[in-house]
Amino acid sequence: MKLAPASILYRVFQKAGRLAITLVFLGSIGTQLSLGPPLLFGGVAVIIAVTLAYELAYYRRFRYEFTEDTFDVSWGVFNRREREIPYDRMQNVDISRNVIQRVLGLSAVNIETAGGGSTEASINYVTSDAADHIQSEIRTRKRAAGDDRADGQAGSVVGDAETTAGDESAAGDERVASDRDAGEIEDELLFEIAPSELALAGILSFDPRVPGLLFALFTGSVPFISPIIPQTDSVAVLLIVGVIGFVGLILISWLVGAASAVVNFWGFRLTRSPTELRYERGLLQQYSGTIPFDKIQTLTITDNPLKRQAGYATLAVETAGYAPGQATERGSEAAVPIASRDRIERLAAEIDGCEMKPFDRPPKRIRRRYLARYLLGLAALTGVLYGVGQWLGVGMVSWYVPLVGVVLAPIAAHYKWLHRGYALGEDHLITRNGVWSRETKRVAYHRIQTVIDTRTIFQRRWGVATVIADTAGSLSLLGNDAAAVDIEADDATTLREELRARLQAALAERRAQRQRENASTATPDAEAAASAGDEIGESTADNETEKSAAIDEIETPGANDETENTEHE
Amino acid sequence: MNALHPRIRIIWILRSAIGALLLGAAATGVALVLDEPLTIPAGLTVLFVVLGVIHAIFRYRNWRYVVGDDAIYLERGVLTEIRTEVPLVRIQHVDSRRSAFERLVGLASTVVYTAGSRGADVTIPGLTPDAASDLRQRLKGLAIAAGEEDAV
Repeated sequence: MKLAPASILYRVFQKAGRLAITLVFLGSIGTQLSLGPPLLFGGVAVIIAVTLAYELAYYRRFRYEFTEDTFDVSWGVFNRREREIPYDRMQNVDISRNVIQRVLGLSAVNIETAGGGSTEASINYVTSDAADHIQSEIRTRKRAAGDDRADGQAGSVVGDAETTAGDESAAGDERVASDRDAGEIEDELLFEIAPSELALAGILSFDPRVPGLLFALFTGSVPFISPIIPQTDSVAVLLIVGVIGFVGLILISWLVGAASAVVNFWGFRLTRSPTELRYERGLLQQYSGTIPFDKIQTLTITDNPLKRQAGYATLAVETAGYAPGQATERGSEAAVPIASRDRIERLAAEIDGCEMKPFDRPPKRIRRRYLARYLLGLAALTGVLYGVGQWLGVGMVSWYVPLVGVVLAPIAAHYKWLHRGYALGEDHLITRNGVWSRETKRVAYHRIQTVIDTRTIFQRRWGVATVIADTAGSLSLLGNDAAAVDIEADDATTLREELRARLQAALAERRAQRQRENASTATPDAEAAASAGDEIGESTADNETEKSAAIDEIETPGANDETENTEHE
Repeated sequence: MNALHPRIRIIWILRSAIGALLLGAAATGVALVLDEPLTIPAGLTVLFVVLGVIHAIFRYRNWRYVVGDDAIYLERGVLTEIRTEVPLVRIQHVDSRRSAFERLVGLASTVVYTAGSRGADVTIPGLTPDAASDLRQRLKGLAIAAGEEDAV
């Protein structure tokens, strides 16, 4: 299948536009070049012609195709590439369309797997219908692939050689057909953002990077605006200017944060099908995507004192699909920006089936360490400011301002300790960290990759240690793993061993469950029922809540198979 | 618990010594420009070499690893002690490799890769070449036996 013809237009527009701007910019600064209007327009025309030719070739070369087990993409004008992505290795399938793309009826489809540094397949651009088709087709085929794999295992376990190839392919076709029916079942709505929540998300989202950026911008322009600043030694005037500047800075960053949050999370919806989560959001640029349940790595619930006071929280769902560069852009795509605390908790429990447990906190004595750390930080900051002040001439810098923090340090140290903790749930490790923004992370034991126990020289002095449960999640590339920080050294050793044991137990249980189910369904007569049985098998192995959904689903289209099967047995 | 091959200390010492010498060369350059006595850069270089030797000795002493029934367990670190459990089922692939330094002293390392983010590659240095490829083979076998359909 090919891209949408309109994509040529958009891609030319996108690329030539960028090049033309560069040319105009070069023309405007290049005094020796002195590009006159005819030369400039000629240049732009050449650029458009060349990009058009390139994009035509790109369009002609780009192919995507659904095969039995893989999604194949081939592309490239000068360097040609062919890529095959197995359905059951796909992590996320995301669709996005911005305003211009919407006018042209185009959508970008991105397919992520766990490996590699970038998006594994970017299909830029297909018609919106085709994009939806790709998404649903992948979903269907993925389930078929999962079932086939389970059948293969069952065959080897039971040693069933009687099934002929013909039977198997027939069963396979039937299965794909029944899955298609199942796919059409209406997705269950898990979450829909209410207007009040959207407004709150805007009000409460304060991007700390913005003030920094603005500050850099303003200080960079000091030589230009310094004439406007009243030249006075009067402390009062300086103070007023400072306060106005500070308030303005906060106000602007707040407005920027609010606007971007509202635009990003406009119409946020989270729905659930038996095998995956689906999200939709965005006002100007629309996003939608799928996250298979069995690819979810961690759930993170975040709040800060403002949100806590109002009884709200944020939820992020993490998979291994996103590369670090992408993860920093907007973080997890399926993040619920804000909702009432119990709504978030119910939603999270529905996704991962994890119960809340009381946390084990680090020892109380560790608060003194945090306090010492904060005070040292403040002392260093004050020292640097004082030094700068001396260098610039005293009075320019209010070096004593950070000392206000001395009052706040004990409070911060206390909250740092209060918010820290870990708990071992039935199937999950739960950890919590953060002074201002408090993050609760939940990792299923069977998702843990490695367990790391670190003790710095300072931690050893205090007799504490940190245990990190590393997962293949994307955010954790930024050092955001679930971590039980500063727990008693002995507890750390126990926790490390416990996590390893629980990981093995969880994996063994999943394996046993799969085998049991395959063995019970894969008798020759019950081959037809295998697909129905496997559907249960796949789901129960993943999580509890999914089971009910899968069973519900089977009761509608596959009810006959189910009853037949029980009769045989 | 296995210790590393004692010769690994030579590699570590060599590495830190080269770092110290480069630093010393840079410091010498600065001293020459500023017309300061050369005793300061010389002293710095000696200090860093000595620190490197001490660090290497402690590092060797603290390094322990063991391949257990279901996981590799490693213990290492001088200032920060790190203990890592790598479950065998999580192993994606295993390398054995020899850097120029390692070839010089006749050693090799084995690197175990997982799909994790922080501990994505775990290196066991200081093995004899035979031991490194034996370990690689053994881990490969164990990882396959531990088997899991999708390690992510």
